[in-house]
Amino acid sequence: MIFIAIIMGCILGAIIGIYAPMVPYTYSGYLAIAIIAALDSVFGGIASTLNKQFDLKIFVSGFFGNAILSMLLTYLGQKLNVDIYLAAIVVFVGRMFNNLAIIRRYYLEKWTNHKKKVSTENIAQ
Amino acid sequence: MKKEKKNKIVMTIIIGLVCIVFFAVMFMQFKTIEETNIADIKYMRETELRTAISEWKSKYEDTQKQLDANRKSVQEYRKSIEKNGEASELIDKDLAESNMLLGKTDVVGEGVIVTLNNTPDCTITYFHLLELVNELRYAGAEAISINDARVVTTTEMTQVIDSRMQVSGHRIASPYVIKAIGNQTYLSSTLSLKDSGFIDRYKASGMDVKLEKGNNIKILKYNGDLKVKYMEEVKR
Repeated sequence: MIFIAIIMGCILGAIIGIYAPMVPYTYSGYLAIAIIAALDSVFGGIASTLNKQFDLKIFVSGFFGNAILSMLLTYLGQKLNVDIYLAAIVVFVGRMFNNLAIIRRYYLEKWTNHKKKVSTENIAQ
Repeated sequence: MKKEKKNKIVMTIIIGLVCIVFFAVMFMQFKTIEETNIADIKYMRETELRTAISEWKSKYEDTQKQLDANRKSVQEYRKSIEKNGEASELIDKDLAESNMLLGKTDVVGEGVIVTLNNTPDCTITYFHLLELVNELRYAGAEAISINDARVVTTTEMTQVIDSRMQVSGHRIASPYVIKAIGNQTYLSSTLSLKDSGFIDRYKASGMDVKLEKGNNIKILKYNGDLKVKYMEEVKR
């Protein structure tokens, strides 16, 4: 059921995004940093689901909060003439790789466990 | 059990909404990036773009200034043209008026026609004509002609032989038709004043005088030359 919701959401979002008005190029930087923050939240959510620690409140607040906060930081950086968005990207992308590593390890473990199980079953037979 | 299900539904909806927002924003960004002319912008640093913009801005401002200045000068030219036009119009008007007064053009207007005829009792002499012209001028006549010879500033009236006269170089004889353009009432009343008017005086002495009023009297132009030979303007 959740998978169906995710897929439907993706398709609907894509359609809305395609037909939405174009963002001025000046503001596309803010949007990009928001997307990175949101992506980070998504991977964090997946990783926590695998660890059975998923909390909807944390996920949603992180999703929107991080996006808005990163946009504000980018704006502040532009006002201060410091590229703060670089720091945000480093943090988010670093965390993204961490979460990806967690996900990868989980599935790798699962896969090796399954293989072991199969081989032990084969030996048992 | 029921609460858990409800929680699950809420979670599904929220995650779906999050997905919608996420993908909508993402595709918006994709579209923006794709449709922006990246070929030009991609390799340009922001500072370069900024300097380019400021350059264009200053160029634009310069051009605007020039345009304003040009507009102003065009307006000034237009004004002066208008002024010149007015001046030349005034001059033209003046010239036309002077020509009319001098007798260089045919003129038309309201006025009177006086016809004098010789009678056995009274032969008309140049003196009568002079007196009549003088009286007409006194009454405000603007143009006068005698037998279609325009009376101008240089006009002479002389007696050639007994019954013939010369006016402006034309020899004329009875009947004498004197046309005058001016205020009809002034002209006619001045001429027909009791005792002192031209008509009253000479009718008494047996002259054949007729006075007609007309609204559309045409007086021909002076057909001689008006040349200045000896005089010249005094320069101050």
